[in-house]
Amino acid sequence: MQRNTFKLAAVGVLGSVTLVMLPGCGSSSPTATAPETAAPASANGKTGTLLIRANGEDFVREGFTTKDGWEISFDHVYVSLADITAAQTDPPFEPEAGGKLEAQTEVKAVGPEVIDLAEGDAAADPIAVTAIEAPPGHFNALAWRMVPAESGPSVGSSIWMQGTATKDGSTIPFTIKVNEELAFTCGDFVGDERKGILAAGDQADLEATFHFDHLFGDGSAPADDGINTGALGFDPIAGLAQNNVVDVDSAALQARLSETDYTTFLAILPSLGHVGEGHCQEMNLTAL
Amino acid sequence: MKQHLIWLLALGLGGWGLPVLAHGLTVEYRQVSRVEIEARFETGEPMANAQVLVYAPNNPTVAWQNGNTDDQGRFSFTPDTAQPGNWEVMVRQAGHGDLTTIPVGASAAADSADVEVAANSLISPSTGLSPIQRGLTIGSVIWGCIGTALFFARGKR
Repeated sequence: MQRNTFKLAAVGVLGSVTLVMLPGCGSSSPTATAPETAAPASANGKTGTLLIRANGEDFVREGFTTKDGWEISFDHVYVSLADITAAQTDPPFEPEAGGKLEAQTEVKAVGPEVIDLAEGDAAADPIAVTAIEAPPGHFNALAWRMVPAESGPSVGSSIWMQGTATKDGSTIPFTIKVNEELAFTCGDFVGDERKGILAAGDQADLEATFHFDHLFGDGSAPADDGINTGALGFDPIAGLAQNNVVDVDSAALQARLSETDYTTFLAILPSLGHVGEGHCQEMNLTAL
Repeated sequence: MKQHLIWLLALGLGGWGLPVLAHGLTVEYRQVSRVEIEARFETGEPMANAQVLVYAPNNPTVAWQNGNTDDQGRFSFTPDTAQPGNWEVMVRQAGHGDLTTIPVGASAAADSADVEVAANSLISPSTGLSPIQRGLTIGSVIWGCIGTALFFARGKR
């Protein structure tokens, strides 16, 4: 009897131990298949390089004819860029939808940069502004501010345009110094190729594009095209010439342009910034 | 000049319908998820004959489909639902362009995500005991205790 009791006790203990161990066996498979949280590639040193470029397009480098027939040739178009920020956004930021930019990843350039959009010939690449080390991914948003330059040839101006305008045998050297501060927030680049798609160890471009035809119009487009109906043209600027030279800053434009022309001028500035053909939100001047 | 894209239709379910027989011909139909866009300038003018580039989520660099809008600025395409995610549509004309994103299979993707989360949520509890295992274990422990007690309670021969 006692021997049987001992056997029953031993079986009970062994059974308990066996059953307690069963769940451990059962859990081995889920534990093995549980997803692992991969460290961000950037955290592993796997980054790439975002090369930020600025492009005034052919209008700046090759010159163009304004809506009112002036042949414009630029010697220099200085723009002062600050707080350049590239972002991976989800949902993708669409400036014309008026939404909020929700960055999942963003990288910023250090310090303001003044560059000359007129530099180089028509075949040259857009001007390289800065390079930023960045994690891989699709950088589908770009933002920047245009601030008065702290030094250099365009000191005090966010945009400095210098060149000549010719019409009917008359040539007017001009310098237009814009002091207004602008801030552009843009979505994905729209153009012949996709930009901002960065792989680890690779390089991708992003481009801040400036459409100066919005200011002066485009003589190659119909007069009733939107690019011309909303443009200031050059006639009002030519009217400011003194001794056949135009040299004006924003204060002079405000003081000497007609109220209508100055209002048009101010309304055009927020439309200068693009990403290729894609539009941007202007967050500073339009908020005034 | 700014332009806006308007999404007219982005609905539809996949699936083959029954064939319709008529004089020996077979006509089959299949409902598909189709996206229609209408692009116009802010003046309301249609972006007629504008270039359209469609990018699938798994390859944002090379256009999955391209074409042109009609004279009303309209274009339609049928995304591959096997590629759920953000489909991008770029519309360009005369130096102006826009890019918009269309979530395709978002609900399916969300469901997939839910399933994955649910699976994970099941994985964690499985490190404990199932009800049957728990009952057997408790019973065995009790039986073991009883047996042990009987073992030590046995008298000397």
